[in-house]
Amino acid sequence: MSDLPALVVVVPILGALVSLLSGIRWDRGGWYVAAATLAVQVGLAVSLAADAFAGEPGSYAVGGFTPPFGIELLVDGLSASMVVLVAVVALGVLAYARTAGPRSPRFFATYLLLVSGLSGMSITGDAFNMYVFLEIVGLTAYALVASGEGGRPAVAALKYLLVGTFGASLYLLGVGYAYIATGTLNMADLASELAAVGYASPLVRASFAFVVVGLFVKVAMFPLHTWQPGAYAGAPDSVSALIASLVSTVSAYALVRIVLTVFTPEFLEAVSFARPLLAATAAVSIVLGSLLAVAQTEIERMLAYSSVSQFGLVVAALSVSNAAALVGLAVHLVGHAVMKGGLFLASGLVSTGADARTVADFDGLGSRMPVAAASFGALALGMVGVPPLVGFFGKWYVVLGALEAGAWGLTAVILLSTLLTLAYFARLLERMFFRETPEPASGAAVADGAGAPDLAGDGAGDTVPGAADLSTGMYAAVVAAALLAVGLGAAVPAYESALAPTIEVFLS
Amino acid sequence: MTDIASFGPLAAVLVSAVAVGPILLSGGRPNLRESWTAVAALVKFGIVASMVPGVLRGDTYVTDLGAFLPGARFALEADALGILFALLASFLWIITSSYSVGYMRGLDEHSQTRYFAAFAASLSAAVGVAFASNLLVLFVFYELLTVATYPLVAHDETDEARAAGRKYLAYTFSGGVAVLAGTALVYWLTGTVTFTPGGIAGLGGADPTVARLAFALLAGGFGVKAALMPLHSWLPDAMVAPTPVSALLHAVAVVKSGVFGIARLVLDVFGPDAVSELGVGLPLAAVAAFTLLVASVIALRQDNLKRRLAFSTVSQLSYIVLGLAVLDPTALVGGLLHIPAHAFMKITLFFAAGAIHVETHTDDISGMAGIGRRLPLTMTAFAVAAAGMAGVPLVAGFVSKYFLLIGAISVERTLLAVALLVSGVLNVAYFWPVVYTAFFESAEDSDRKPLIEGPLGGRFPWGADAAGDADPGPVADGGAEGGRAAAATAAAGDGRGHDADDADHTDAHGHGHAAGGWERRGWTGGESTWFMLGPILAVALGSVVLGVVPDGAVFLRIVRLVVSGVTGVSV
Repeated sequence: MSDLPALVVVVPILGALVSLLSGIRWDRGGWYVAAATLAVQVGLAVSLAADAFAGEPGSYAVGGFTPPFGIELLVDGLSASMVVLVAVVALGVLAYARTAGPRSPRFFATYLLLVSGLSGMSITGDAFNMYVFLEIVGLTAYALVASGEGGRPAVAALKYLLVGTFGASLYLLGVGYAYIATGTLNMADLASELAAVGYASPLVRASFAFVVVGLFVKVAMFPLHTWQPGAYAGAPDSVSALIASLVSTVSAYALVRIVLTVFTPEFLEAVSFARPLLAATAAVSIVLGSLLAVAQTEIERMLAYSSVSQFGLVVAALSVSNAAALVGLAVHLVGHAVMKGGLFLASGLVSTGADARTVADFDGLGSRMPVAAASFGALALGMVGVPPLVGFFGKWYVVLGALEAGAWGLTAVILLSTLLTLAYFARLLERMFFRETPEPASGAAVADGAGAPDLAGDGAGDTVPGAADLSTGMYAAVVAAALLAVGLGAAVPAYESALAPTIEVFLS
Repeated sequence: MTDIASFGPLAAVLVSAVAVGPILLSGGRPNLRESWTAVAALVKFGIVASMVPGVLRGDTYVTDLGAFLPGARFALEADALGILFALLASFLWIITSSYSVGYMRGLDEHSQTRYFAAFAASLSAAVGVAFASNLLVLFVFYELLTVATYPLVAHDETDEARAAGRKYLAYTFSGGVAVLAGTALVYWLTGTVTFTPGGIAGLGGADPTVARLAFALLAGGFGVKAALMPLHSWLPDAMVAPTPVSALLHAVAVVKSGVFGIARLVLDVFGPDAVSELGVGLPLAAVAAFTLLVASVIALRQDNLKRRLAFSTVSQLSYIVLGLAVLDPTALVGGLLHIPAHAFMKITLFFAAGAIHVETHTDDISGMAGIGRRLPLTMTAFAVAAAGMAGVPLVAGFVSKYFLLIGAISVERTLLAVALLVSGVLNVAYFWPVVYTAFFESAEDSDRKPLIEGPLGGRFPWGADAAGDADPGPVADGGAEGGRAAAATAAAGDGRGHDADDADHTDAHGHGHAAGGWERRGWTGGESTWFMLGPILAVALGSVVLGVVPDGAVFLRIVRLVVSGVTGVSV
């Protein structure tokens, strides 16, 4: 196997260093370094994925130390999907961040370190190495959340740090238990050793519980989600888009990897509490996440609770873990990342352009910012699961999987989640398109005519007070996310067959 | 039966979707915008019509776009049943487009660009529903239809319209979830969801409880749009939409996509044999019979003309469902034929109601005394279509109801036959007052309307409502407008559970009464613009043609083809 798996982790780290150094001479250099690095990263990720989907799932021994003693990097369909997703979303959000900021070289260095950590989490085949990358992701994410101005981001980041570190520690504890039981940390090796120790061993069971609950914190499952709304709402728009789109997604991937590769489906069969733990958490998250989302008045907090609910769907698929459900899981992870990232970018666009941060502020947005409103609407419908948008596909496969497993209650919850999602998005659609913009209280907010010409290109008549602050890149990122949400569905059949060998390995 | 690979079905779906772009872009130039609609409507109808001869020969046109999901390809297929719905929807869209222009400009409505764009998108989705080759593709277009029609329901942007829009979304998406669940169950049971004339093999032999659950979910899900009681309540509320929307979408395209879904379910998913084996036909028929009677009774008490028509739609849709649920070949013909028959008649009635609204700003039947003098052609068309609704021979409704009745009797479902006949009488009872008011009354000289104004149950003496504590109401003050208004207020205020909409429809436009009654306009079209009058007369003529020479119109031939394809029996 080529050195690609190592490169996708190393290249962003190098980029981060260069970005930091460029800041010494050139204040705006960080963005350009980050853009170049991520362009290379997308290329690397795509060729890695091409290899992974073409051949058998492969492995790479870091530094030439053979597994199980050295660190193994593991490339299969799912991990390659995550690497590509991370690279593409990071590049898209970067396009948005150029104008929206924060613009300091330090910010972009941290940004690239986060990408490195996420890529590492996606391809590592070593349980302890996973913890290392988890911490890299965590620490950079705390720093990014805190990069906004004022006290609110700082408080949000502190809360995120406390809760996130708690989760990572639980994970480490779980890995430690597994290490005590088996004496190994390599995932494939752990799988056979754990089976040899016996799934009835309290050590193994405790290890499972610690790892899963620790990752629940990172994925933000109810009731361990409390860091999320604050972090997403407090962070700068580009940061909340990036972490909402990627951090929970890759953490969910890590959960899948640990549960299926390390503990294996046989463990789920053998241990009576394993599946109910996953299924119950999933169901509770789906329902309560949605209800909490309905109760929010602030858009970004609403979107955060929506994530709690949507990742419930992913964990539900994991609890079922048959072929159909795992296809659904993969499709939903990718689709949700694109849609949620797009929604955060769109809400950032709207709050910059029209100063709309609460549900009530969305009144009449369709006439003030038609492009932003239309993109937001399309992404929202995708989240609801209106076919043929991508949100529908994941849900369909998960429903099929749940039915095949005979999990009737879970099936019902997943189907109803459509209506719950509709409950919090429909009111926004109604406000955007079927209400008048309220009259401004004073003359201060009269549309700034001079701002409009700046919108040459895809601005398409969005004439709003803050229009001067909106760049083509910001619009491009939002519109691209909306188009992907509409178009990705067409790729699902091909993706399903490309994923088949990976899933076979997961389930064997 | 041969399958012909063709781009026809896809093109028919896409034409109006593509037109959405130019329509949105030419928002500043209304004439150009409307010509895009007209071109799209004509091309769409042309494409659909070009496939009719082939379908009548027994061919099926298929556009296969490749794999979609397990057990389903994304294929569009113009078979006999599909072409029936597509032909109907695309033909009536041409007429409705012309009417829309007259209506929207006559009222100087806002957001006309959004209106015409959403209308075109809705038609795409409706034809997609018609040509879907399996349950999943059908589901895709079924949901898209919901999304595309939502802007039309909420068009007015009033609180009432937004509430109706919310209700519409809640009802139809819930239905969509039920359809999705049912589809998943069918896939789980059989491994496929592709429509097969006579039913998917294996459903009959599957676990009967799960199969029944799947049927119930699918029938319930489609039943939302088909307005089966108790899932109908979005439809009367959706009448807040502009009248062309009520006419084409809430009498034809949307509601019939629900009915069409039930037709696919009965004929091509489960098949008549499996439906009768599972014993799910009779419950469905019972729901339909209940709906058609109760909705007719409710229609009696609606004073708002569009709401009365909406309840009439609820009732008439159940005729179709009843025909499908009875499972007799003759009843199937009757039910399916009622799809176009009802479409032509109901669209006439709605067009007339819309013309009344545009010309006189009158929405309530109680304000229409003598309106036949003002709108003679419109009200004549209304009378003809109303007669057809009641099943009077020589108008479309008679033929389909005749088949339904024969079918119900031949399988010895006498109760269902009785329900059909009673409903026919009720049809007369709620349409005749409109015709009578329009032609034989005037503002000064009109009769009491005890059904609408009196308390439920018909208490006497007139007006002395014992429970009306605050305002006893004027006693026996028959015709005067003031007396009636007071009675209406009393009825609404007496707290006895009347639906406020029934009794008190104070419309914002105010009644357009001239002091001396309606001014008399001639029979030569002075009453309105030909943009509206033309469509009204065309669809009225259509309902008569369907009634006089049912075999000459293509619909009956298609219906016979569908039924013989499914049951093997030629009717």
